Amino acid sequence: MSLNLPQILGQLEKMGAALAEQQAALRRLQPAASKALEHAASLSPQDLSAQVARAGDRYRGARPTDEPLLTAAAAPALESGLVVSGADGSQIYPDRHAPALYYVIQVGGLAMETGSGRPPHTRTHPQIFYLPEDLHDQQGYPVGNAMINGRRDAEEMKALAEWSQAHTGRPFVALLDNGLLLWFALQVREQNQKDVDRILQAYLGHLDSLQTSGGCVAGFIDRPRSADVLALAHLSTLPPDAVNDQSLRANPFRSLTDRALFDDLLGPGQRSACFIDSSPLNRDFETKGHQVRFFYLKTNARGTIARVEVPAWVAQDPARLGRVHAAILDQCRATGGFPYVLVRAHELAVVTNQDRQQLEGLIQQRLVDSHVAGRASQKATTKRWTRSRRKHQL
Amino acid sequence: MTEDDRPIGRVTRCSTRGFVGAVRLPEPEWPVFGTYCQAEAQQGRSQVIGLIYDLSIEDDELARQLAASESLSPEQLADSQVNRQVPVEYRALAIGYRNDESFVQSLPPQPPLTLAPVHRLSLADVRKFTERLEFLKLILAVPEIPVDDLLAAALQAAAAARPESERRTYLVAAAAECARLVGRDLTRLESVVRSLRPQH
Repeated sequence: MSLNLPQILGQLEKMGAALAEQQAALRRLQPAASKALEHAASLSPQDLSAQVARAGDRYRGARPTDEPLLTAAAAPALESGLVVSGADGSQIYPDRHAPALYYVIQVGGLAMETGSGRPPHTRTHPQIFYLPEDLHDQQGYPVGNAMINGRRDAEEMKALAEWSQAHTGRPFVALLDNGLLLWFALQVREQNQKDVDRILQAYLGHLDSLQTSGGCVAGFIDRPRSADVLALAHLSTLPPDAVNDQSLRANPFRSLTDRALFDDLLGPGQRSACFIDSSPLNRDFETKGHQVRFFYLKTNARGTIARVEVPAWVAQDPARLGRVHAAILDQCRATGGFPYVLVRAHELAVVTNQDRQQLEGLIQQRLVDSHVAGRASQKATTKRWTRSRRKHQL
Repeated sequence: MTEDDRPIGRVTRCSTRGFVGAVRLPEPEWPVFGTYCQAEAQQGRSQVIGLIYDLSIEDDELARQLAASESLSPEQLADSQVNRQVPVEYRALAIGYRNDESFVQSLPPQPPLTLAPVHRLSLADVRKFTERLEFLKLILAVPEIPVDDLLAAALQAAAAARPESERRTYLVAAAAECARLVGRDLTRLESVVRSLRPQH
């Protein structure tokens, strides 16, 4: 049975009305949020930093850098000879109903020499993992999807580091379709400290390579949902002696996102000030010299706001920061606000359901050739029987 | 896997008269008009031999977005034209089938299966299949396709699969067979014979 669309129609009407109401409520909140940010900007850097220090480890908002909070900076001109690279990854998760237990990670990427007129170099690198040590974590449990995501993220960063090394001596910007922090680590670190540390160290090692080869790296987050700067704005409005768990949680702007805040502040092509991400994960990155900072960028005249994450060694170097800013804007021109190299990296990396079916057919064939019993489970087989049934259109 | 062994797509629609294949390949690897190909049928017991007579490029949203953009860079244009795996759809006319190692030049008993891989026919198989010329009747019998052009492309491809010393003899024999089949239509015959002149 497919989704019963006629039955869900009534619920959709209610959903539309509720979303319109929420939007109106958010619009009413926005002026107060902008005012709070202006208040934060009016404080001296020392006073604002002292307030953040008062909030301590329980604070989960943005930390200011030495840039003014209301910065709205235009991009410098694009450098000639700039090389822009993008990488993205895709995966097939292990499925106990498949003919064999395995998983696949495929990373696609390209490097484009702006102004050359030449087609970019492209690369697709698939890897299949099937050994017991690949399929189990350090405690002997089946490897989870979060861990596979972490390995995929590390492979993406490795691909970017390799492109960067191949272009040492030239201005180079590597883009990733995600933030720079490895969020999977927070999800599974307690159970799999060693595995997580191994992936994290590999990832940070690739960031080292990027830095030493003279490149820049940035994580591009389209339609960000984060509210880190709003948390900072709220914190700035609290009396110093009233900064506590309760007052931090009583943030009236929690339902808003930073995107709404910077939509008003930034003109097309402008970026915000850089901020520091206060996630505990960022401490690991900071220890290795790759503290993650971020800024917001209005990528086009339609008002698309993206969050761009960069290591501190990019944020603190005006030449590198400007290179990232200009490269992203240039990449967004033809594609309506999302970097072209990331569109193509996704296209090169993506593994479709059809690919998966073909791969499983080949695996089954190899198992037969090797005289190994291997077929899909009865559950998977029965699902295939019913999957192709035609659906009625509304 | 050599280039000849690589599939040039999979069957998406089919009948005993022919099949439609789809593939995502960069431009240099697309099949061309008049390519001989084969697709598995009858659970592997036979191969339907097809002759590609139409290629079309499916709708591609990124290409549409880029075409409408005023800011397309030369590198992005080159990427789309050289690197991108453009979704290509092609139609093949069934001109015979293969049982074991022998070829039969008539409509196949069953069409290929949906998603059956389509391969180019190897040069040796093109030579073997085109030794006889009964398949020309199957091409000439189809309305609404560019029959004359397809006939010429098919015979030129068959000649090109032979050693240079045999090509002229082959084309002369093929022209004689065409004269027998379309002899009543002199204008058409002239056009077909003209297009069969050996290419240098």
